[in-house]
Amino acid sequence: MKGLQWLFVLAFCLPHQSFSQHIYYSVRGQVTHEGQTPLTGANVILNSGEKTTITDKDGKFVLAEMVAGKYILEVSYLGYEKYTGTLNIVSDTSVVIMLKPQFQTLEEVAVVGEYSGMLKREDPTSIESVNKQYIKNYLSGNLMKTLDRLPGVSAIEIGSGQSKPLIRGLGFNRVVVVENGIKHEGQQWGEEHGLEIDQYAIDRIEIIKSPASLMYGSDAIGGVINLKQIEIPAENTFGGMLDMTGKSNNNLLGISFNAYARKNRAFVSGRYTMIDYADYHIPAGSVDIYSYSIPLFRNRLRNTAGNEQYLHFSIGSIGKHFFNRLFISNMKNKVGFFANAHGLEPRNVDMSLHDKSARDIHYPFQEVNHFKISAKSTINHGINQIEAIFGYQNNFRQEWSQYVAHGYMPAVFPDSLSFPDVLELQFDKDVYSGALKNTISFSDKFSLTTGFNSELQKNCIDGRGFIIPGFRQFTMGVYMYDKFSLSEKIILHAGLRYDFGNIEIKEYYDWFKSPVINDHGDTTHYDYLQRTAGLNRRFTNICWSVGINYNGSVFSLKANIGKSFRMPIAKELAANGVNYHHFSYEVGNPKLSSEVSYQFDLGLEWKLSRIVLGLSPFLGYFPNYIYLNPSYRHDYLYGAGHQIFYYTQSEVLRAGGEIHLHYNVLKQVKAGVVGEYVYSEQLSGEKKGFTLPFSPPANVLLNLNYSPGIGKMFNETYISVDYKLVAAQNKIVPPERKTKGSQIVNISVGSKFEWKEQFVSVNFQVQNLFNSKYFNHTSYYRIINVPEAGRNFIINLSIPFEHQTGKNRK
Amino acid sequence: MLIFLLSTCNRDEVDNQRPEIDMSWDGAFPKNCDTLYIGETFNFGAVFTDNTALGSYSIDIHHNFDHHSHSTDVEDCRLLPVKEAVNPFLFIREYEIPVGIKVYRADVEIFIPEGVDEGDYHLFISLTDREGWRAEKGVSVKILHRKSS
Repeated sequence: MKGLQWLFVLAFCLPHQSFSQHIYYSVRGQVTHEGQTPLTGANVILNSGEKTTITDKDGKFVLAEMVAGKYILEVSYLGYEKYTGTLNIVSDTSVVIMLKPQFQTLEEVAVVGEYSGMLKREDPTSIESVNKQYIKNYLSGNLMKTLDRLPGVSAIEIGSGQSKPLIRGLGFNRVVVVENGIKHEGQQWGEEHGLEIDQYAIDRIEIIKSPASLMYGSDAIGGVINLKQIEIPAENTFGGMLDMTGKSNNNLLGISFNAYARKNRAFVSGRYTMIDYADYHIPAGSVDIYSYSIPLFRNRLRNTAGNEQYLHFSIGSIGKHFFNRLFISNMKNKVGFFANAHGLEPRNVDMSLHDKSARDIHYPFQEVNHFKISAKSTINHGINQIEAIFGYQNNFRQEWSQYVAHGYMPAVFPDSLSFPDVLELQFDKDVYSGALKNTISFSDKFSLTTGFNSELQKNCIDGRGFIIPGFRQFTMGVYMYDKFSLSEKIILHAGLRYDFGNIEIKEYYDWFKSPVINDHGDTTHYDYLQRTAGLNRRFTNICWSVGINYNGSVFSLKANIGKSFRMPIAKELAANGVNYHHFSYEVGNPKLSSEVSYQFDLGLEWKLSRIVLGLSPFLGYFPNYIYLNPSYRHDYLYGAGHQIFYYTQSEVLRAGGEIHLHYNVLKQVKAGVVGEYVYSEQLSGEKKGFTLPFSPPANVLLNLNYSPGIGKMFNETYISVDYKLVAAQNKIVPPERKTKGSQIVNISVGSKFEWKEQFVSVNFQVQNLFNSKYFNHTSYYRIINVPEAGRNFIINLSIPFEHQTGKNRK
Repeated sequence: MLIFLLSTCNRDEVDNQRPEIDMSWDGAFPKNCDTLYIGETFNFGAVFTDNTALGSYSIDIHHNFDHHSHSTDVEDCRLLPVKEAVNPFLFIREYEIPVGIKVYRADVEIFIPEGVDEGDYHLFISLTDREGWRAEKGVSVKILHRKSS
């Protein structure tokens, strides 16, 4: 514990700088890029962090209270070359800085705008970043499907437009999703639980594709998806944007309206998003579950309709040395499950009821409400940059289905219970989180970040089913990370972290009596069975990371090696029930240890005048991967004769990587290739020699992009064609099925045109152009032979408006 | 690293084959749409096969008065009208198959006691091999009182 105390001392003993009486001047500036367009959110740094600020919506910034003298001004923005210049201040000064775009490695293939930015150059881990425009251009049914295009990133589809992130073959609670600095707690503990993120409300997404426990703690063992709302309105303006989306495949209608206002330093913004969709179409007239063929009405997957509503509110203030922002949001959704495949076996449903309308939602369905509030403060004090974040969120989720007695549940549902017969599962989770971070920039060559984060979770359960117990979980961690520039081209990184976690699991008894069977196989009596005994576990972990960046003019290299960890979750420790989405019975293991991963990451990139080639291989080893092992046993009580899956731990070796190649055929025509491959093998345990579940098959995306440049009426026009080739996946583990390869063509076209002094943008997409019938190996519906969605036309229209209020201070 | 990768890839292939449930032969019972009788014992009979080693099987018989279940057979049986359950017959058992067996003939005596509800039932069989691969079969049956002839 001595070491820990030192860490605290280091973090909060802030070196001070004295201030004396001076005449103050101010520097006003504007940051633009090509065509004098203002650049919002650019980082403006004075004397390596003495003062920092961010540009507003008009690309403008103010550095006030400056004494006369010589300063070094740096301006950086992801995807642009960093500007460094000297500023000689003798009076109030104004500057205009135009940033030059960096050579865009894969701009059109993978990301629009900011792919190979500062982040990529200065971070030793494998990282991807996309902006708002990318989301609009490639908007899919949900956020993860939209990001699926990126190398090394896939989506585990769980039907009904829901999906979970999968980074280099690792998913579920091995990937952390962070929204505005707070870990998004919701989707991890239910399998059929999507991300519950409003795609319209995100300004920037950063994806770390390697273990990142160092900064993000437990669960970041597979990577991080960091969602950011960073846009700040320009001074003394009010405005907003109306987004409208339509999709043909599931008759989706999405409307998102946002409004903002800023007076001097204070700003406020709000957003309302509404999405409503019908059952989706697949290119098949029936689905074979086991050997039974379920007919579909007009190729629609029965009861996959849904609706989502999001409300966001944010207020903030920007000061000379501080930036505060408060976010409040609420998400509500109701989504149907494919009615024929919910429960323990293929189900008969009332087809006349279900097929009457494609828009209605019948049993089985889920309802989720996710409320979130978080406050973030950034303070610049001398060479310190302090960031504090506090948050609270509540995730309330219910699964509803018709009562069917499983195991020894009574044939007729008794009316003496506290929950209704149709409530299958209910989870009510409260999460409190806090994080404190201080970055000290001793010089432009050396910076040290120390941080602390902590989280408290409380989960209550209800309903007739049981799989995850109620629990209370507390985690905290302290870390230290330093960044040292050896030369102009070489940056070294090192970090160390300590974590503590405690989980208290509540015992659970069935609400119905089951037979108690003795060793001879005879029933002695009937009793309420205990599914989960109370459990109290503590975990401690130390993890570390060391990395290097080399940025040459043609060749750049990054390498990182680190240890990450993950604390077992309540489900892994104490599940004991039926997974209705997987036709399985899951049993937790209270003896599990923290999962540990060692991973080596390499990034190599060559940039020539018209061609860029990049390779990012990785090699990882888990001494004790937590694996849900399908055993040969069956449960004869609540599991109603279904196969038992036990949580076990095994050694796992993983390797693979991504490749990207970008070629500027002509000034306006660009071609690109991105590919990914993951190999996993269990080296010990009952499934020695087998792969891991949901292993993404090797795939290559070929892209051709034509951007005619700036026209008279239309701006930023582009046509982009994706040809995605997916290899067959023959490496499987029970209960998966081998999946054949597939070829898909997607087209995206878009432009911006001026209308009433604003730029209205229109994007049009055709996904699965040839309406191909294919299977996605990383879909939950794969095992019941449900093919992927058929052809889909998507149109998105964004209409902005903005007005100046009052005078801008000169 | 690539060489290392290739060397680990070339392992013996793992068992990727599912076991099979065969109820098409003459002695298999019950078949889809068969009737079982209250107060009598019937012999469940099926043949299980696997390429390496069978694991265990389970038999689950539950009522289908609400028509929620259907057989995994293509042929549909004529079901009785939907009704409320009062005291439906329920049977769930797991049977382990001895280690190292590739072909196994299951023969289980199941007794249906007096007092249970007549009607449509569903018999669900799940079979695993030792690797955890699984096969399922669902059969629609009727449980009735034998009419004295």
